[in-house]
Amino acid sequence: MAEATITFEDVQVDGDKQVKLIKVAGQLDESNVDDEAKKIYKLIEDVGGNLSLIFDFSELEYMNSKSIGYLTDWYSKVSASGGKVAIAQAKSNIVDILQVVGLTQLINTFPSIEEAKVAVV
Amino acid sequence: MDEKPNKPVKITITLPTDAYFLSGIRDFTLNMTKNMTGFSEQWSYRFQSVVDELCNNAIEHGSAPGEEIILTFISKADYSFEVVVEDTGTGINKYTAEQMQELLKEREAVVGDRYMGLRGRGLPKIVAEWTDELIFEDRDGGGLKVHAKKYLRKEEDEVILAEDKKRDPTHINLTA
Repeated sequence: MAEATITFEDVQVDGDKQVKLIKVAGQLDESNVDDEAKKIYKLIEDVGGNLSLIFDFSELEYMNSKSIGYLTDWYSKVSASGGKVAIAQAKSNIVDILQVVGLTQLINTFPSIEEAKVAVV
Repeated sequence: MDEKPNKPVKITITLPTDAYFLSGIRDFTLNMTKNMTGFSEQWSYRFQSVVDELCNNAIEHGSAPGEEIILTFISKADYSFEVVVEDTGTGINKYTAEQMQELLKEREAVVGDRYMGLRGRGLPKIVAEWTDELIFEDRDGGGLKVHAKKYLRKEEDEVILAEDKKRDPTHINLTA
């Protein structure tokens, strides 16, 4: 079974906005993605509105089409409540698959967390 | 293709109907395509996704739990790479070859760049986009056989590699 971990961190920003850094590591595939996705749905639900997300994909090695579907859904939920979503430090194979499915038309990718932070604040 | 193909290498793996085993199959696909086919590293990662998506479909729809799927890799070095995924047709949501062809057409029409659905990207946006031939075939005795084949075009790969070298190799900055 593929191993994947998801951890959250608060990003310090001025004002009322809440920004969470979500670090995803390992491989997201059919064997684990449904369970891992629940953690992020819970985060979105717990924080409520005014939430922006930065996904740190620096240690993400693989993601399947279902995990891309979840990412799209999180983007929809966060955007609907006024927040923004960005992806930082993704490996080239991850950017490649995000591009082929068209997700980079919706969510911007950045080389660093700092640049992603500027984009979501 | 103009070049005469080398003798093909054919490897067949039978898997239980369980996504637990797919990380090992992805590792195998990546190593095989990197080392034996002549395709670039970028294409090796792409084939990893193609194989994973086809196996997921076979497990989810084609073969019932406790059954199996059959995966065959056919590599003609410096010419083509093909993967064939077979299910037993015992799954609850099994499809015939004709239904799969229709499903692919429907999904290709619906799944655009700004598609917001949770499911449905694997076949039209990953498997179909990253292969030259995608053929669905009904198996004798039931089940589906899916052939996904990509021909090596060195010129195409050289363009990709040249573009990769121009930018940071691990990160691409894109704007919507």
